[in-house]
Amino acid sequence: MSRRSLSPATRPAAVALLLAGVLVAAGCSRGDTHHEPGTGHEVATGSVPPATDVPDRGANGSDAGTTVEIAVRDGRVTPAPGRVEVGLGGRVVLLVTSDTADELHVHGYDESAHLPAGEPVELAFTADRAGVFDVETHGSGLVVTQLMVR
Amino acid sequence: MPLAHGVGGTQDLPIPAFYAYAGGFAALLVSFLALGLLWPEPRYAGATAGRPLPRAVQRLAASPALRRSAAAAGLAAAAFVAGHLLLGPDDPARNPAPGAVYVLLWVGLVPASLLLGPVWRLLNPLRTLHALACRALGRDPSAGRPLPPWLGHRPAAAGLLAFTWLELAAPEPAATTALSAFLAAHAAVQLTGAALHGERWFAQCDPFEAYSALLARLSPVGRRPADGVLVLRSPLAGLDATPALPGLTAVLCVLLGSTAYDGFSAAPSWIDTLQTSSLGRTATATLGLLAAVALVAALYAACAAAVRLVSGRLAHPLSAFAHSLLPIALGYLVAHYFTLFVTEGPRTVTIASGTDNPPPADPLLSPGGLAALQVLAVVTGHVLGVVAAHDRAVRLFPAARAVAGQLPLLALMVCYTVGGLTLLLAA
Repeated sequence: MSRRSLSPATRPAAVALLLAGVLVAAGCSRGDTHHEPGTGHEVATGSVPPATDVPDRGANGSDAGTTVEIAVRDGRVTPAPGRVEVGLGGRVVLLVTSDTADELHVHGYDESAHLPAGEPVELAFTADRAGVFDVETHGSGLVVTQLMVR
Repeated sequence: MPLAHGVGGTQDLPIPAFYAYAGGFAALLVSFLALGLLWPEPRYAGATAGRPLPRAVQRLAASPALRRSAAAAGLAAAAFVAGHLLLGPDDPARNPAPGAVYVLLWVGLVPASLLLGPVWRLLNPLRTLHALACRALGRDPSAGRPLPPWLGHRPAAAGLLAFTWLELAAPEPAATTALSAFLAAHAAVQLTGAALHGERWFAQCDPFEAYSALLARLSPVGRRPADGVLVLRSPLAGLDATPALPGLTAVLCVLLGSTAYDGFSAAPSWIDTLQTSSLGRTATATLGLLAAVALVAALYAACAAAVRLVSGRLAHPLSAFAHSLLPIALGYLVAHYFTLFVTEGPRTVTIASGTDNPPPADPLLSPGGLAALQVLAVVTGHVLGVVAAHDRAVRLFPAARAVAGQLPLLALMVCYTVGGLTLLLAA
């Protein structure tokens, strides 16, 4: 079970996400993408449910994921960029919606995904490097969140 | 959002609170012990200290062949970087030029200068270009108007501020256009200065030469100012011989302030401020960088005023103690740039040898080891600064006033160290 903690400013949003996520997790299975730790990443676009914070990812019965949902609208990031704490070796699922087409990039891990305008995109990978990593949109040049892996 | 340092993706984890408190406590303890226990007579006579190195080493260091090879290597490296900037892809993952400037040059000069002395003086491609141009024109490279005495290191301080601005506040620090523009402007300024004032311009006014030469004051190997003999010496003796040129304080305030801003700018709260500021990101980052440098300088000026008050008649309290900030700046540089150097340094070399976007090197130290190293670097810098200031105080002040005279400096150094540890803890 990986720990997660958000800055105080993002905590109410996280609680709301958690509640929404539990509902979503109960309603549909999203465990249909598999990932071997340390190898690349998988990207799912399209009909991903809009709100999550799902400690599931238990398709292989082991690690629970840390899901972060972020929206970029008019050059603003919601929730405001904070630090998401992830246990070393834990799953990270980024669920990002941008109002303009953009490129999502996780520094240090070099994971990236294309963000079509207005569509939520999921980027999942295993956090196997310790440190603090910026997650950016390259087009609008915004830091949307930081992953603190330890 | 500019990526911190222009290149590199891994930032250090905040240090655990225990390390920060242990470091802060050690710094305080050392400071107070210093008042009572350190020597009552000055010990470091930098101008005459040190044991001469064997004659073979002296000869090698002075040999024209070594100097020519170093100059050729510097020129070749500069041509390599310029070629990649002009012709290479505009992507730091595939172009080695940004890593070469921000990591190998800027951060690499720290260990190189600490181990080998003022190496940039030997490598500086602009110095070589100037010498070649002078030879072609049949001119003496040292010919030129003398530098005005008030100038000192001030052009170097301005150059360092411009470089750290590019690295930490510019919109696209790793873009080939931004780097080319900076390096072209830098070359133009330095070559004009050298054309007007001769090659003496470089040692005093070239930001990278001044940076390398200052760090080299803490090298165990160096030329003794009194007779120019290459000696093995205590780094503190080398530090004591730092020439107190005008602008030395400015150079150190730029180094301390920019490194502090670098630490601070990784904090999510500052990132959010940048991204939502109505002034725009670059203007806000510029103000943040200037504010960090101004804060460091204001603290130092307040301290100098207090020293003048206590000591009564010290003519130049600002420059008399500026050298004691150098170890503190070095401690910060090590704490902030160690990871960048050990992960992005080898990666830059790999990119330069033709591999696109290689994976970052594995970190050398565990997070705990890294936190220990960072605190150790900051506290060691503090201790060396306290010792250097103490030695200078007992030389400048009558014995009765030496303890009181260094109190403001101790307070300043405790402020800097606690501030530095707080940045490592929080950002």
